[in-house]
Amino acid sequence: MPLETESKARVRALVADFRPNNGDMMAALHRVQHEFGYLSQESLEVIAEQLDMFPAILYGAASFYDEFRFEAPAQTTVRWCSGPACRLRNSNGIRDAMLATLGMEDLHEQTEDHRVGMVLGQCNGCCELAPMVWLEQHGDHGPEQTPVGHMTAARAVRMARALRDGADIEEAIDA
Amino acid sequence: MPEGVAMPDLSVALERYEELRVRADAEYAAWRNPERPRIDIAMDTSSLANGARATGVAIHRVITERNAAVDMGQVHGYGMQWIHPSVQITFPNGETVLYGPVKPEDAARIVDEATGTWGAAADLRHGMVTGTHEGVPSIRDHEFFSLEPHERRLMRNLGLTDPDNLMHYIARDGYRATARMLGRHLSEEQVRNTLNDAGLTGRGGANFPTGLKWNFLYGAPGEEHYMVCNADEGDPGAWVNRVVMEGDPHLLIEGMLIGSYATKAKVGFIYLRDEYPFSVQRMEDAIREAEAAGILGNDVLGTGLEFHLRVVRGAGAYVCGEETGLLSSIQDSRGMPRVKPPFPAQRGVFNKPSNVNNVESFANVPLIVRHNSEWYREHGSDKQSGTKIFSFSGDIPRVGFMEIPFATRLEDCLRVCGGIQGGQLKAIQSGGPLGSLLPAEALPKLILQPDSFTPWDAIMGGGGMVFCNDQTSVLVLTEMFAQFVEDESCGRCITCHHGNQRQTEIIRRILDGEGRREDEPNLVMLDRTLQFSNCVHGQFSPKITRNMRVHFKGDFEAALLGVDPTLTMKGMYEVVVANQRPEEQAKAAADICPTAAIQGEPGRRRVVDEACIRCGACFEVAPDVMAKRPKAPKPGLVPIG
Ligand SMILES: Cc1cc2nc3c(=O)[nH]c(=O)nc-3n(C[C@H](O)[C@H](O)[C@H](O)COP(=O)(O)O)c2cc1C
Ligand code: SF4
Ligand code: SF4
Ligand code: FES
Repeated sequence: MPLETESKARVRALVADFRPNNGDMMAALHRVQHEFGYLSQESLEVIAEQLDMFPAILYGAASFYDEFRFEAPAQTTVRWCSGPACRLRNSNGIRDAMLATLGMEDLHEQTEDHRVGMVLGQCNGCCELAPMVWLEQHGDHGPEQTPVGHMTAARAVRMARALRDGADIEEAIDA
Repeated sequence: MPEGVAMPDLSVALERYEELRVRADAEYAAWRNPERPRIDIAMDTSSLANGARATGVAIHRVITERNAAVDMGQVHGYGMQWIHPSVQITFPNGETVLYGPVKPEDAARIVDEATGTWGAAADLRHGMVTGTHEGVPSIRDHEFFSLEPHERRLMRNLGLTDPDNLMHYIARDGYRATARMLGRHLSEEQVRNTLNDAGLTGRGGANFPTGLKWNFLYGAPGEEHYMVCNADEGDPGAWVNRVVMEGDPHLLIEGMLIGSYATKAKVGFIYLRDEYPFSVQRMEDAIREAEAAGILGNDVLGTGLEFHLRVVRGAGAYVCGEETGLLSSIQDSRGMPRVKPPFPAQRGVFNKPSNVNNVESFANVPLIVRHNSEWYREHGSDKQSGTKIFSFSGDIPRVGFMEIPFATRLEDCLRVCGGIQGGQLKAIQSGGPLGSLLPAEALPKLILQPDSFTPWDAIMGGGGMVFCNDQTSVLVLTEMFAQFVEDESCGRCITCHHGNQRQTEIIRRILDGEGRREDEPNLVMLDRTLQFSNCVHGQFSPKITRNMRVHFKGDFEAALLGVDPTLTMKGMYEVVVANQRPEEQAKAAADICPTAAIQGEPGRRRVVDEACIRCGACFEVAPDVMAKRPKAPKPGLVPIG
């Protein structure tokens, strides 16, 4: 499979400067996910080799962390702020409205066509914008995040409908 | 020190510092009194979320179009996040004025103001950051900062430097403490004693004396010691460490550098949460600059001492804030807290002696070493000296951060934040998910000092304070934290892993209006069981639920009966079409409903209760049509007691 070899080679080049037992695992995982949007089995194998770890141990470690993904993210991911300031302004309603609009049972799912996904986000101290979500896409230069503040449930429905129907981030924000 | 190797000559540090200082003074003077006016965009996580980049682009465009004699630069926000995106204009005479919120459409006015049409952006002005100007108050006189000391300490460089510029830090006495400590041959012990005399304690929550902790690492066997910074700041609603890292990254580096000297550590790690990519970037850039200037690396300020510093980026695991979980995460494994002892000073990174401190603990160190312990004690109280950064959020009009002396009254903080908004004060959330839910009646008695929180079975914590009004049930907040601690349990202990699942289940069921008589005793039992968990995460995980049960007993008991005056608990109210008119609103409600729960022809619309998920979208578009109606308490639910 020539394609596989090529992407393996890309991963290998990416992680070439990391060393075993040097505290490099987190950096290696981040760098590969940054580039590809997720950690494929094949890339985990390459990283494990580079760090002199069993792939099972590496996967076991990586899967501990919420932010490492092992499947490709949706085209657009809605990161929903779960923090306290947002909860005081009906962020639960915002979450449930978006999930219902997208036909998803819970966070960390994607629409069947992989257009939209939703994940749980943590407050990063922009609570003046509460309630908020971030819209994320994986661009050529890694992940791109657009914070959207002062959300409401009605806006959440419009935004989710727009994204579901193929709108880009700008259109979804203005929906 | 191996035989035959000469003691490094540390006095060279002073010379190196003076060389750097000459360059820094010149660069900084030119920045403070620029030849042409300069517009600095506040750049930090909050500013960026508020659109600082778009504002910067718009201002840049206006400048280019007009070929205006104005430059651009950056600063960190001053503390008032509700005015973000903000900008500062610095005039050639050194006067600096703060403006906000500056939206892209205000760009032309800001450029006008900078280029001589004084008053073009008068309505956006908040005050003078430096200098005086008739008719413009000093920003230091703004009510929001009225609790801060006249001279800021930890935040002294905010608004007054470009955080990415090492020379600015140096020109404002940065790295001077390091140079003096080395150049005047201060012993490692003297440094540690100075911190102990100052009364510096850990800002990560446990409040352990920093100097004392450093004694353990200094005295640990072997040559390989590690200095680790806990920059995981996982408590939602707290962004104190972020302000230090994005506002003055070299302050943290210098704190760690002094710490490395005082404990004989040669390598340092900053474990930084993934949610702060901008902090990661600022810290990594600052480390690179410090290396290039010979402040970090193999030859610290020419002395031959070594200190290498690296950022390790977390990946969304809250327990990695627990120090042993953090150490595990640095060592290429799952970030699971382990049993203590051994303590980090005995077994830390790579099983070598290590020390973990919070960002803000380190940030205090250069200030104390540069001044002295008495100076440090000028603020605060006998029980807790110094100042601390706090972040305030929730139902208040002024969301932001300030640096205030310990023992400041919390009531005063709420006042300067503009008071409670949208209702009456109901609860104060401090200390994050392992922290507390305080009742409103505690407010007049609380001062910002850890022991003031103890009588309320509460902790002050890392500095995040969330004020909550009475429009959201405290049980909704309790559910949030219950789910948080459940999600973030590392899974090592069955008590914590399963106990928290049960706790969340019970709280959720109560929210669904299905409270049971045995819920209270079961929550008490879970609370007791969780105390047998290995780490503080498990032990403190039932704390907010307990606070809710005890401090909000009335709300809790009513909820068990299915009664919720706030109508925010899903199972205790229904959504109804209260009026069929205006029809446009009724139609809009039916259209926006994500579950098509609003059914029927115009004039005969109704909500199908089973389909309604209580999202609230319909109320916004149809305030005159849709209403919440309390459900009757469940028949058969026996009152407890
Ligand atoms: C679950 C858990 C999360 C923690 N998170 C943090 C954190 O984000 N930042 C922090 O400084 N300390 C955190 N701590 C406390 C640390 O274990 C440790 O006490 C602290 O980093 C020591 O630094 P200090 O002495 O400077 O306060 C956490 C503790 C627990 C149990
Ligand atoms: S108490 Fe919880 S977080 Fe701590 S070690 Fe046990 S399972 Fe992990
Ligand atoms: S609360 Fe949400 S689900 Fe219920 S009727 Fe209104 S819009 Fe529909
Ligand atoms: S709680 Fe949502 S941004 Fe802080």
